[in-house]
Amino acid sequence: MKDIFYYDITNNLTVTWADLIFDLKRVENYSNFCYQSDYYGVFKQIVLSVLLDKNITLLDPGFTQQEISRLTGNIIPDEIENISEEFELEDCKTKGDLLSLLKKNHQNWTITLFTSGTTGLPKSVGHSFSSITRFVKCSDKNKSDVWGFAYNPASMAGLQVFFQALLNGNTIIRLYGVSQNLLLKTVRESGITHISSTPSFYRLLLPNTEQFHEVRRITSGGEKFDTNTAEQLKAIFPNAKITNIYASTEAGTLLASEGNIFSIKPDLKGLIKIEDGELLVHKKLMGHTNINIDEWYHTGDIVEIISGDPLKFQFVSRRNDLINVGGYKVNPYEVEEIIREIEGVREVKVYGRKSSLLGNVVCCDIVRNNTILEEPDVRRYLNGKIQEYKIPRMITFVNEIITTRTGKIKRS
Amino acid sequence: MEEIIFIINTVLKNRGKKTKADIDESCHLRNDLGFDSLDLAELTVRIEAKFNVDIFEDGIVSTVGDIVKKIG
Repeated sequence: MKDIFYYDITNNLTVTWADLIFDLKRVENYSNFCYQSDYYGVFKQIVLSVLLDKNITLLDPGFTQQEISRLTGNIIPDEIENISEEFELEDCKTKGDLLSLLKKNHQNWTITLFTSGTTGLPKSVGHSFSSITRFVKCSDKNKSDVWGFAYNPASMAGLQVFFQALLNGNTIIRLYGVSQNLLLKTVRESGITHISSTPSFYRLLLPNTEQFHEVRRITSGGEKFDTNTAEQLKAIFPNAKITNIYASTEAGTLLASEGNIFSIKPDLKGLIKIEDGELLVHKKLMGHTNINIDEWYHTGDIVEIISGDPLKFQFVSRRNDLINVGGYKVNPYEVEEIIREIEGVREVKVYGRKSSLLGNVVCCDIVRNNTILEEPDVRRYLNGKIQEYKIPRMITFVNEIITTRTGKIKRS
Repeated sequence: MEEIIFIINTVLKNRGKKTKADIDESCHLRNDLGFDSLDLAELTVRIEAKFNVDIFEDGIVSTVGDIVKKIG
């Protein structure tokens, strides 16, 4: 596995580090927008951006053209530039050469990705090399790690895994979007030692009586890790240390713990605090964004303090209304806005309904102007306009939607 | 059983897939009916709305027969 950079069972694709270097040497043009569903293509473009020390903007391949137009203000601008003159990889022959180049060429590099947004549109957040790799550990011990890649590469969590694997010269094995049968086969046969994902992803591996002894580390984030799933995972991965991560698109990875109780690393002391039960992050830790941030950024995450000194706490809920569907955040306002475009819809409320499988399922109530509009019509309209996981899975037609005193839709 | 088949077909139809007439208790939700996580979650929510039972509450359900057992 030490020569393999990326393996994708779904597309039957094996890319060695030598292949990657070969492919990088052949690149003549660079675009700072990355909008593609091919994982290797995304990885290669990120590596290229670091080598060139140029900005890169990641657009989730699930975004529709309409969403991209709204996010970027236009269709992807055609900013492809010829890089053949400034790009010199002649001396780069081995994985070691490439890793050395990657570790020094990033003074100006930034990466931009999009948050799910709390109100209105998703917002862009830019990160420097140091903020994106804050939790990356490079050591001899990590050199033989094999990473199960179980996130969308255009997500903050996916990037954390990617850089951890890349900078240690590890192998990346695709697990995200792989069918359940192939998933177990992949974990069984590819020698994966590390997996990072959401509890919803891990539930795909359950129930299972098989044991995977080679896996040494399981990292979970994005949602609350329920005890039932954690216990079953311990049985399947008997040699793995299970860690919880707290991260956000705006700030990157901030906290790690071995259970549900978190504490703050000494070097982040004074930069993370709790006020009125909410976790606040100092702006020094934040990426560059068009959101207005005072000195402290309100994460919207409500925590319960377990002990004051040393500070220990656990997460309780979200202050805002984002619906967490298997680790993916759905902004109800965004979905409502599009449903309101449908003829016959007078009012709509999008909300999450608890699901023991995915945390929440997106549902909506609609007040209609006619009796012709039916559930499949709404679903058909939304197909291709928004990402699949944002589409309400159960639609109820109601006579009225309750509002608050100020006329806003009552959310809870 | 008829009501469960109706709900399964509703999920298939909403997703733009063909409905099935030959659903029985041995049908595997993922392998035979092609349900993904989102489909399964939709199925759970619809069954809970109808029968007031969360079929995934205490474990994983694999076949139509598993649902019938849970609903009792």
